[in-house]
Amino acid sequence: MVSHSNFSSEQEDTVTSPRSTGGYALIDLGVKINPNKQTEILGMVRINNAFGGFWGGGVNFDVRQLHVKGVAGNILRYQIGNIDYKLTPYTFYNHNADLLVSTFATTRIKEDVLNYESFFGNNTWRRQGAAINFALQFPKVVDEIDFNGFITRMNPTNLGDILERLQGGGNMVLSNKKYFDLGFNHVSIFDLQGTATNENAYRNNVSSMTYDLHLQKAKYTIGLDGESGISSTFTVENNENKLADYFVHTRAYFNLTEKNLGFELGYMDNGPDFRSFGAQTKRVNFDQANNFYTRYTNEQVERPISVYDLYNDPTLYSNNIVTGIMSYNPVVNNALPYGIATFNRRGIYAGVNYADSSKIVETNARYYYLQEIRGQGTLALKNFHYLNGAVRFNLSNLTKWKKSESLQVGLAYQQTNRSSDLSFENINLNSLTANVGVELEVVKNLFVLGNVFIMNGSGNEILPERDSEGTIINYQNYSVDGSETNISGGLRFNFSEDVYLAGIYETNSNTFIVDRNYTYNQFMVYYIMKF
Amino acid sequence: MYKFSILIAIGLVLYSCRKEDMEQYEGPSLEELNTPFSVVTDLSVSQEEVDFSAGESVFFTAEFSKTSEWQLRIIGETSGAEKIMTGLSKTIDSETFTWSGTTTNLPIFKTEDCTVELTFPGEEDTLTALVTVSNPKVNSGFLVADFDSGFNPGWTSFIQSGADMDFQIKDDGGAAEGDAYYNIAGEVNWDWLIGLVNFNADAYGDTHFPLNSNPESVYFNVMVYGEPDVNTSRILFQFEEDENGDGSFSAADEDMYAHEIVVDWQGWKLISLKYSDIVSLDNGIPVPAAGNETHNPEKILKVNMLHLANPGMGYAKSKLDYIIFTENEPLNP
Repeated sequence: MVSHSNFSSEQEDTVTSPRSTGGYALIDLGVKINPNKQTEILGMVRINNAFGGFWGGGVNFDVRQLHVKGVAGNILRYQIGNIDYKLTPYTFYNHNADLLVSTFATTRIKEDVLNYESFFGNNTWRRQGAAINFALQFPKVVDEIDFNGFITRMNPTNLGDILERLQGGGNMVLSNKKYFDLGFNHVSIFDLQGTATNENAYRNNVSSMTYDLHLQKAKYTIGLDGESGISSTFTVENNENKLADYFVHTRAYFNLTEKNLGFELGYMDNGPDFRSFGAQTKRVNFDQANNFYTRYTNEQVERPISVYDLYNDPTLYSNNIVTGIMSYNPVVNNALPYGIATFNRRGIYAGVNYADSSKIVETNARYYYLQEIRGQGTLALKNFHYLNGAVRFNLSNLTKWKKSESLQVGLAYQQTNRSSDLSFENINLNSLTANVGVELEVVKNLFVLGNVFIMNGSGNEILPERDSEGTIINYQNYSVDGSETNISGGLRFNFSEDVYLAGIYETNSNTFIVDRNYTYNQFMVYYIMKF
Repeated sequence: MYKFSILIAIGLVLYSCRKEDMEQYEGPSLEELNTPFSVVTDLSVSQEEVDFSAGESVFFTAEFSKTSEWQLRIIGETSGAEKIMTGLSKTIDSETFTWSGTTTNLPIFKTEDCTVELTFPGEEDTLTALVTVSNPKVNSGFLVADFDSGFNPGWTSFIQSGADMDFQIKDDGGAAEGDAYYNIAGEVNWDWLIGLVNFNADAYGDTHFPLNSNPESVYFNVMVYGEPDVNTSRILFQFEEDENGDGSFSAADEDMYAHEIVVDWQGWKLISLKYSDIVSLDNGIPVPAAGNETHNPEKILKVNMLHLANPGMGYAKSKLDYIIFTENEPLNP
């Protein structure tokens, strides 16, 4: 990638200078060894060579992936080393709670790079440890019982006061392809006692049951699925402060198969003390400093993480599971800041998805109406409205052109409010994130790309300040009235499905910080090859 | 109808389970936080005199009209030592803070009267109390030197013959701990070395320092004073290990680990190092150790202190006090 950017702000700024990355070639070189038919050893080394580096200068080597996997005794599948793992949305799951709108055109390129760099594929966490899987098949009632288990290391002991901390769990899923899936899941974060002088071991246990009862007919499918369970969080010497709660999530769905039309109606009740850090850890720590134009203006104030940074900077993301309540940006996502596993939320949602037979229009939308279960500093509860949807128009399907011409619109609208007789308890926060993208194939394999990405927020919120145990100790009045707009365009040439060259120019303006609005422009060139 | 009734029953059960949650709230009350601040109960001390050496501790109590930020500052009237504690709460009690004689800003508390000040950012109120330390806290660990008993005859030293040389134990009231400290000052314009002291294990009646063999558990602590407006002192501590147990150190085939402290601050400061983190140095650059390359604290034969300074930059001055090895954690003075 090669990039060049310049930066300007509303307040006097003679310090911040334009940035260029001279560009780098980045190759992930994998070596796969099969010592026998049932074993695979994969080692992937990343070679990062800065353009202009000669004789080894500017070259970095990193181990990107290392694992051994195989099948033992033709029954047990195993993987040791780097594992990409998920279980269920409430037990162990990497929710994408900060990039809410669907991406297209230029933003899709960025998100693809981001996901590859951060190992965020299919909502899995990249961890180090071991995983096993095996299944038993039956002739009647239950077709198959699938067993999964994993264990990962969260932090090592220092042989002093820090205990060895592990996270492990597994599930058993009973399947009948025609009628049901039934899963029993458990995940624990636990300190190993005896690995340090400290005896106050930590525990976070989550147990759940997942289910999907369905009836499949030729013209339609109707079903009921969901997950419900309990959690407990405590230290063994401080049991009186144990946090324990339950959650219920159930969804009815109805799909008209031939019409590509589906409806859903859901109910969720995630207790205020429900803690499942394998599912509530955020990908981004919003307390960290930015890496790109970290400071600006002559006063060299810190530039907070913007949505642009969320799409552009993989180094902001982490795969570490955090046993604490992480900070979030209420403009980005206030309704479900920790994904569907967000604690202290109860309410309903309804969704629809549709695609016409020619795939000219494809759309999906989901609306949530949620409420806190327990108030924060008051008995008055916050209400959340959250609408998320996307519509894609495949214009070439309408006109029967051979070249692909598509337009996609994605949006996420959220409203938070709390009404009280006491004016200082009132909350009214609105935010809208929208992304309009277009991909036009002008000549074979050459696409013109364009995107307009907008996020705006206005209103006020009262955010809790928590101590290291997660207890609310104070509040922070938060008010916002600003927007971030990113307009980008470019060209992409596809050499094949997985090999392309793209050039993107974008201008980004941000008015969220009073008197310190800023704008920057950036030009980037990507050459991506996957094979 | 039957299925519908079951659904209603499930809904009612879920609602009743959450009823208790809906009748309470998390965190401090917003209504209370938006009322004016006032002191409900004045600051008081659990005991007027405290003997920290006997394991006693003291706590403070106070109550305010709302959850507030506060700072509790205990000042030693003789030593000038400070213990500072900040918090955010509506009350202060034994669970909020219990003082066991520790110090935030050196010097360490002595046997003395202490003033206690409780202040609140953004508020004018200042609450005060008094507490007397009848005996200061005793720190566990192996004490190498606190200089209160003079220069141990088992130590050896070499002082250059430069200008204004002053390598003396002093008790002028400026010690970080106890009554005395070791002054290390002088100007040597031909060499980086100004002077050195060897703290030999046999000065304590033992061949090796009596330390835990796990280098992860052993911490080396020293209090160092930075003098303003003089040449920057560099204090190099070396740890010679007698790996073969012959009672002597051979630089050619035994490990010597070292740590250089660049004294670029003013006043007293505690430096604590985990022994396993200390590396072997050659002219200030980390190199592999000459011996088994394994940290063996139980085999330390000698601890050397070298006072260094740039010979072209003039007079350098620093002070040392309270050199102590602690186990499992750094010194909490």
